[in-house]
Amino acid sequence: MFFTLLKRELMLARRNWVAILIPLFFFVMVVVLFPFAISPEAEFLQKIAPGVIWVAALLATLLSLDLFYRSDYSDGALEQLLLMASPTQVALAKIVAHWLMTGLPLVLVSPLLAGLMQLNYGLPQGILEANQTPILMLSLLLGTPTLCLLGAIGISLSLAASRNGILVAVMILPLYVPILIFGSATITASLENNGYNAQLAILGALLLFALALTPFATGRALKIAVS
Amino acid sequence: MSETASFGLKGRGITISRSEQILLEHVDLNFKAGTITHLFGENGTGKTSLMRALAGLLPLDSGSVFWNGYETSHPEANFTQDLLFLAHNLAMKHELSITENLQFYSALRGQKASKSKLLSVANELDIETLLDRHFAELSAGQQHKVSLCRLFLEKAKLWILDEPFVNLDARTRDWLSSQMMQFAASGGVVIFTSHQAIEGLKIHQQISLAHQTDEVLD
Repeated sequence: MFFTLLKRELMLARRNWVAILIPLFFFVMVVVLFPFAISPEAEFLQKIAPGVIWVAALLATLLSLDLFYRSDYSDGALEQLLLMASPTQVALAKIVAHWLMTGLPLVLVSPLLAGLMQLNYGLPQGILEANQTPILMLSLLLGTPTLCLLGAIGISLSLAASRNGILVAVMILPLYVPILIFGSATITASLENNGYNAQLAILGALLLFALALTPFATGRALKIAVS
Repeated sequence: MSETASFGLKGRGITISRSEQILLEHVDLNFKAGTITHLFGENGTGKTSLMRALAGLLPLDSGSVFWNGYETSHPEANFTQDLLFLAHNLAMKHELSITENLQFYSALRGQKASKSKLLSVANELDIETLLDRHFAELSAGQQHKVSLCRLFLEKAKLWILDEPFVNLDARTRDWLSSQMMQFAASGGVVIFTSHQAIEGLKIHQQISLAHQTDEVLD
């Protein structure tokens, strides 16, 4: 049942590939703007890179939420899904598909941005351990699923309300703060040659915690949205 | 909680409200196996709300709904498997083809809509050439026909149909009536709303809903 739902979500996302790509471009564009707006100086860019990339990832996730929830709500398909499958399963299928189609591409495209933001500037060449790109990718890999999980609650609660876009942002952004802090702190710590395992561990813990609770909460919220 | 074993759908002491207005108050309803029930009443009297409440989408203010003697939320009732609810929204995805749309809903029920079965129902409804087209490319009437295909493809025991006859040509109306009668004859329960009387459809029970009263005629 779960895989039937997931297959459908992925198929719909593939048919809407243009809409799926927009958040990804948004992510890249936002980061690209910073060197233009502030300073192209490498040392400076390196300093702000973790924060900028993480904030952009967070906003891109927020931007893509609507795609996976709104159309099913407005054409009545959500009702049918909830009649035939358990709400938690419906929610989990949507969250997994959402991450696969929008979260994972952010992780994959992040090396490009690492180069652009001079993340590896001044580091000894050729020493693999000094390369910051894998750490950036790892922090995004652990952090973006949590963004999708938490965002799912927000969008589901706001489906029935009009003017939902802003509402979701206001509801969800405060919840994103811990992920933002530990996500960018991972890279900052690594840049300063400090240990970053603790930050990664906390990102992982947040992910597991959200994975355990949010599909259920999202399911209930979807159920309320259609009633 | 199990009531005395009785087949069909039963509502006990149902109260439904919408936007703080009470639509139904402490009403008992009985839809026996093998019967077709016509719900009618003016706009805004709560026909759709009642259907959604019976289907379990709209929470009841009081009372409960029983399916084959079990409360509908009870796993023994097998209600989600048995219920087929066609709402006013067609719930078909515009990006998917007709075949993909219909096969998904069958798969969600754990059933398989085979190509030949799809073709035969599409043939009866005159949409067999459109099966690979995207849902968005069809006319309103054709889209409606596609959603009706679900009645034929998915095995259910209770049909709740919100305005199924709207937008249909005479031939399809006849097809739908005969499907409904066949389904009832095989022990199914049909509940539908319609503003017009349907020629040739044998209705076993009529329930009229009226504004601001809790009276239900049988």
